[in-house]
Amino acid sequence: MSSVKLRGVRKAYGAHEVIKGVDLDVPSKQFVVFVGPSGCGKSTLLRMIAGLEHITAGDLEIGGERMNDVDPSKRGIAMVFQTYALYPHMTVRENMGFALRFAGVAKDQIARQVGDAARVLALEPLLDRYPKQLSGGQRQRVAIGRAIVRNPQVFLFDEPLSNLDAELRVHMRIEIARLHKELQTTIIYVTHDQVEAMTLADTIVVLRDGIIEQVGSPLDLYDDPANQFVAGFIGSPKMNFLAGTIVEKAANGVTVELTNHKGTRLTLPVSGGAMGEAVALGVRAEHFGEPGAGDSDISLRVDVAEHLGSTSYVYANAGGEALVIEREESRHEIGVDQISVSIAAAQAYLFDSAGKRIR
Amino acid sequence: MPQARLDRREHITGWAFIAPALILLGLFMIYPIVWSLWMSFQVGKGMNLSFGGLANIERLTKDAVFQRALGNTFIFFIVQVPIMIGLALLFAVALNDSTLRFRGLFRTAIFLPCVTSLIAYSTLFKSMFATNGVVKNALMTLHLTDGPIPWLTDPFWAKILIIIAITWRWTGYNMIFYLAALQNIDRSIYEAARIDGVPAWARFRYLTIPMLKPVILFTTVISTIGTLQLFDEVQNITQGGPSDATLTLSLYIYNLTFKFMPSFGYSATVSWVIVVLVGILSFIQFLIARDRRSA
Ligand SMILES: Nc1ncnc2c1ncn2[C@@H]1O[C@H](COP(=O)(O)OP(=O)(O)OP(=O)(O)O)[C@@H](O)[C@H]1O
Ligand SMILES: [Mg+2]
Repeated sequence: MSSVKLRGVRKAYGAHEVIKGVDLDVPSKQFVVFVGPSGCGKSTLLRMIAGLEHITAGDLEIGGERMNDVDPSKRGIAMVFQTYALYPHMTVRENMGFALRFAGVAKDQIARQVGDAARVLALEPLLDRYPKQLSGGQRQRVAIGRAIVRNPQVFLFDEPLSNLDAELRVHMRIEIARLHKELQTTIIYVTHDQVEAMTLADTIVVLRDGIIEQVGSPLDLYDDPANQFVAGFIGSPKMNFLAGTIVEKAANGVTVELTNHKGTRLTLPVSGGAMGEAVALGVRAEHFGEPGAGDSDISLRVDVAEHLGSTSYVYANAGGEALVIEREESRHEIGVDQISVSIAAAQAYLFDSAGKRIR
Repeated sequence: MPQARLDRREHITGWAFIAPALILLGLFMIYPIVWSLWMSFQVGKGMNLSFGGLANIERLTKDAVFQRALGNTFIFFIVQVPIMIGLALLFAVALNDSTLRFRGLFRTAIFLPCVTSLIAYSTLFKSMFATNGVVKNALMTLHLTDGPIPWLTDPFWAKILIIIAITWRWTGYNMIFYLAALQNIDRSIYEAARIDGVPAWARFRYLTIPMLKPVILFTTVISTIGTLQLFDEVQNITQGGPSDATLTLSLYIYNLTFKFMPSFGYSATVSWVIVVLVGILSFIQFLIARDRRSA
């Protein structure tokens, strides 16, 4: 199994730069997920690793070898596409065995490898069907099977589940996680679904506008986001941001007064920031507490509440600033139009006006 | 209103709507077809016709000129159609490559011949391939030939000239169909094949050709029909000569009808020969290309 290394990798289409200098180490056997909003360059970066796009500048190494100008088929990779990219005129068996014919693999060996992959993916009953006779999930499994038979060092996935319905997506997600455990290969996986990223990844790479915003394990990114973008992107529902101003700096921390909650102050254990600086206080929906349980209370007007049974999401605002609050055991709150919640300084984050974390 | 009566009224309205089209079709298509079938059993010259049963078919078997025309038509069909289809496929694949520069220009250039005026291009071909034309000069300058090639006067080279002409004119037309079909193929299919190490020739042979099969069948049938009806080029460039070397069935029909003492019945018989040939050949092509999946 191989590691993947990117150094100063750039991609430009004409004068338009899409990937603006990416440094990344993907250790062997890791499951790495690229996430980011649409158009941020996830697919482009993956396709550069695959060799489908030329690398404008920088170096790509796979398994310790420079691969910039190596043919895609010689990079030891296999790729699974969002559209599956199955050969429509070939059966599942032929789809999976087709490429092996040109690698000089003997016929009975091809049959054996296809059989093995089919067993791993539970495709045996479908081997003689054509792609158009399969469901979306089955097609995706065939596409994965076609990648597996080649025994690649690195698997590349480009949004493999985004054409599936919600239920199937959860199912296939678990399948892919199981597969990774079983095959022990390096996987680079692109998605814009942060739940997929959180559940599958050993390491998440958050991209924005062709730049890496942060690299870390799912919980690192959740607990310790480097900036407001990552904080808002990782976690569901999105993190809330409350406008505020730094009103006091002391040895034990920085005190912030909230703009839309006059008189509410909160002291965070950080040392950065300047007096009078406008900041954003980040609080996750699930980190609001009962009134009095935290360090400061705020009261809010309820717009809408969604009661899902065990939890509910309350959409509320103060002075036009919208917040989402996750509540457990909230049946007694149905119909209520005013609530108070508390904020704990230890579970809040501070960002400057450029979105950088104040630590 | 009872359902049955409602149905009937809808029926009548429906037929009334398509009646004008049906009548026109009947008048200008069905009637001539049926009438030509009837004609093919008539013998005699000019307007002096009488029913001759199978006499015309018997005449076919003894008519050396007809057999010559049939043979020529088959040679054109067997040599020209595969060359043209192959060329059109290669052009389409080459022009579909997004890294190729001036794609639009090449596409237009290759498509243009089939929209040019037939008379103009035939006249031009005739002068270009004349004993002292530019083609001779070009070939001699490049030292590809020692003397002039008798394009218009040698039976073999005249056939080649006709094949060059129709290939030049119709390759672009077929290519457009392939290009359209190629652009409907998901690009990631080729990318997947590239990553999996399938060489370029195999991508063409095992991916492109099978995926284009329905279009290839369609263009083959269209080209077969076109070649069996080949008339304009031979009429304008060689007039069927030299010594009937490029006489085709259609040109023969024309000669029978308008050049010699008109023999309407017999020429109708020859035109039905074309119909039967087109039918048989198209059927064979469908059989060959039949989908394994539905077999
Ligand atoms: N061939 C191209 N020419 C010019 N610009 C391109 C080309 N391909 C992609 N881009 C641009 O590169 C940027 C990144 O595209 P990319 O497909 O990598 O985004 P993505 O992160 O995969 O988005 P999505 O989540 O929507 O798939 C986009 O702004 C896109 O417009
Ligand atoms: Mg993408």
